[in-house]
Amino acid sequence: MSDQALTYLDANSVATEGPAWLDVRRKAAHASFADAGFPHRRVEAWRYTDLSRLMAKTDWHPAAPHDGAVLVPEGRSNPFSSIASHKLVFVNGFFRQDLSELDGLPEGVEILPLETALERGTKFESAFDANGPEAMAPIAALNTACARDGAVIRLNEGITLEQPVQLIHYTPDGGATVAHTRNVIELGSGASMTLLEAQIGWGGAYLVDRVTNLNLGERASLTHVRLEDEDTDAVHLSTVLGDVASNASYKANTLALGGRAGRLQSALHFTGEGAHAESNTAYLLRETQHLDSTIVVDHAVPGCTSGALAKGVLDDEAIGVFQGKVIVAPHAQKSDAKQMSNALLLSRDAAMNAKPELEIYADDVQCAHGSTIGELDGDALFYLRSRGIEEQTARQMLISAFLGDVLEQISHEVARDALTERATQWFEVKKEGEV
Amino acid sequence: MVATRETVEAVDEAVGKYKYGFSTDIESEKAPKGLSEDTVRFISAKKNEPEWLLEWRLDAFRRWLNMEEPDWAKVNYPKIDYQDAYYYSAPKSDDDRPKSLDEIDPKILETYDKLGIPLVEQMALAGIAVDAVFDSVSVATTFKERLAEAGVIFCSFSEAVQDHPELVRQYLGTVVPVTDNYFATLNSAVFSDGSFVYVPKGVRCPMELSTYFRINEADTGQFERTLIIVEDGAYVSYLEGCTAPMRDEHQLHAAVVELVCLEDAEIKYSTVQNWYPGDEDGNGGIYNFVTKRGDCRGDNSKISWTQVETGSAVTWKYPSCVLRGDNSVGEFYSIAISNNLQQVDSGTKMIHLGKNTSSRIISKGISAGRSSSTYRGLVSVHKKAEDARNFTQCDSLLIGDRCSAHTVPYIESKNPSAILEHEATTSKLSEDQLFYCRQRGLDEEEAVALLVNGFCRDVLQQLPMEFAVEAQKLVGISLEGSVG
Repeated sequence: MSDQALTYLDANSVATEGPAWLDVRRKAAHASFADAGFPHRRVEAWRYTDLSRLMAKTDWHPAAPHDGAVLVPEGRSNPFSSIASHKLVFVNGFFRQDLSELDGLPEGVEILPLETALERGTKFESAFDANGPEAMAPIAALNTACARDGAVIRLNEGITLEQPVQLIHYTPDGGATVAHTRNVIELGSGASMTLLEAQIGWGGAYLVDRVTNLNLGERASLTHVRLEDEDTDAVHLSTVLGDVASNASYKANTLALGGRAGRLQSALHFTGEGAHAESNTAYLLRETQHLDSTIVVDHAVPGCTSGALAKGVLDDEAIGVFQGKVIVAPHAQKSDAKQMSNALLLSRDAAMNAKPELEIYADDVQCAHGSTIGELDGDALFYLRSRGIEEQTARQMLISAFLGDVLEQISHEVARDALTERATQWFEVKKEGEV
Repeated sequence: MVATRETVEAVDEAVGKYKYGFSTDIESEKAPKGLSEDTVRFISAKKNEPEWLLEWRLDAFRRWLNMEEPDWAKVNYPKIDYQDAYYYSAPKSDDDRPKSLDEIDPKILETYDKLGIPLVEQMALAGIAVDAVFDSVSVATTFKERLAEAGVIFCSFSEAVQDHPELVRQYLGTVVPVTDNYFATLNSAVFSDGSFVYVPKGVRCPMELSTYFRINEADTGQFERTLIIVEDGAYVSYLEGCTAPMRDEHQLHAAVVELVCLEDAEIKYSTVQNWYPGDEDGNGGIYNFVTKRGDCRGDNSKISWTQVETGSAVTWKYPSCVLRGDNSVGEFYSIAISNNLQQVDSGTKMIHLGKNTSSRIISKGISAGRSSSTYRGLVSVHKKAEDARNFTQCDSLLIGDRCSAHTVPYIESKNPSAILEHEATTSKLSEDQLFYCRQRGLDEEEAVALLVNGFCRDVLQQLPMEFAVEAQKLVGISLEGSVG
């Protein structure tokens, strides 16, 4: 039993008055999280990110609905706003019908807030049962106990959604508020879509915790593009728990810029042969920001491929973390898994921790991982300088190229340009600061 | 001594029970079974140790009582009953130590022969001074005079305590502190014997120093303690080879090795470990929980660990380097072969504290049968370690579809000028290469041995010549029965 967890749950957990199937799960999750508590550094999977310490302040309370106009600070707006999309907007964790665009959904497509889906009697038993691996289970439990809303996206068999779906979260209010949301995304066999997700906040000290349950049917395909740009006083947790069936494909590319401390974690589990999953993350941190990118890929069946790439740029006293784990189950032959973490330390006080793990129980596999940590290549910098490029620009060019490995892989062209632009802005703030 | 009668009975009981292997039935003197302050006092008294060392042991023992056995390693073994083991045994002729080989119990020599370690031949052939640890007490130390001429002290730990207490007291526990970990603390309380090496300033040790460890007495936990001190500008190469006769009882082994490397000094520490791994069903075999650490205390110092691990049922071993001095270098070359139901959790720690420190890790894991092999390593660069450099390569080779290979590296950098690179691969033995070898007339086992030796080449090359030959053979022998 953890007092910290109990206090937190008392203030923030959802009353169990929903449908019976959900109440059972919420109660179990409540008990499980009360028992486990916030993970701390003595929990192996959290050794570099002490959530218990980050959450040590005790007055955490639920955020209030925000009904007025959302005034996004300059330069922080939704990068995907120019893209024609179906759109779900949440403010402080509450769905905002007026800001969303859900008209004209094609046949066989369901996009709606979780609360509405629950009111209609839809059951999400398997999604709420999926707690992911040990590393993520406490957060899944916390979310199940505390989340009241979120997004539901369901595509029937064979549907190809032409327009992307945008999932936009704004957090304008802080002051030790918390917002837990739960997304459920289910793609039937052969369905495909692009999900553009942005989490943008400026409210000061708050916690956002988002768990996304993915279920991709056979041959389904999901392209997931994410921007994480929370307030630099905020703590954010983003968890993706995905089941990927045979010949299905999940591709995630994330740009992370914000937060005092954040953990982006994904657990991808193959349920059928020939599936593919990859999760690539670029992050740019400064001051005392802390970002933890954790991915567990479970090759439970033969013949699947996976990739994970993390590219970090760390300035000032920022701390980066990469934890990768590839599990290849017995008999999961012909598995192919790659993991790479590269980090650039731009300042004397920045630090990077990497832990790329392999856990392999089958012999006919190709698994490789790599990790590099270092500063900008002096020779490359010198070369650019010798061509008459000033130092700041040269550094920026090299860093952009470094991040390119993640950002250029984004298949949606407008989204790619938008995130590249955001990364470029990051340097400009630095430049102004220096002048 | 109260324990004497009990001891004699215990020995009588143990002798005659041997069913397996070729344990030598020479009389031993044992401490009573179990672990208590009395056991610690018994061991210390047996060795005629000074008061400060007894206090040191007792302090360790008291701390150990409050510690918990670590469970983070990826190994499974039945809970060890620390009260159901003997913590001290020595050949009976302790008081009357042999002065030369002729005086050594022929049965001991015979055992070495069976193990393929012809002591006499080796001395003549390679000019190696052998400090053979038979059970816990050294019974033969050779070439002492030649080493003494150079000023090198190479003796058993017990002798060092008697003859050079000031050196032992100055350095003991300074690299691996008493409370370092559960097994190291246990060792500190009950260590039996081991080797002591001291190389004075500017001396290049004229020969490679070699120790053969043997575990011979059933139910005897072995707790070697090795301390190597190399002063400014000196050099030593130390070989440690281990074999054990077959037996059916699990045996605990918790050694501590401390290396102190001062300015411009270099230590090369090579190990071939071939203890009894248990039978094909995982019965028997040795539990090997070892704490090995080197401290590059002086500038420009260098410590190189090379290990070939083929034995033991459970291996828990992380030879480490603390790179304290500026420009110091740490190296770790490892081959870990596991077959049948063996479990290996091994790796290294490279702690970069000084400027321009560099480290290199080459780890080759080979799993066959139903075994499990884990590389677990830490590379840590502290804030002041300007221009630190690390390169790590961990390759795993899987033979058969029921074994497993894991890699758990921790990479931590707090200095931007540091460059750290890590790469790891896991793959199986190439069918094409096997086929090629087969069609050139090699049988399957020979082909596997050849290919695995090729896979391990980077590490085998680091071994001193005498060891390299033995190790190559060992690679083949360890994988017998893993294919086909």
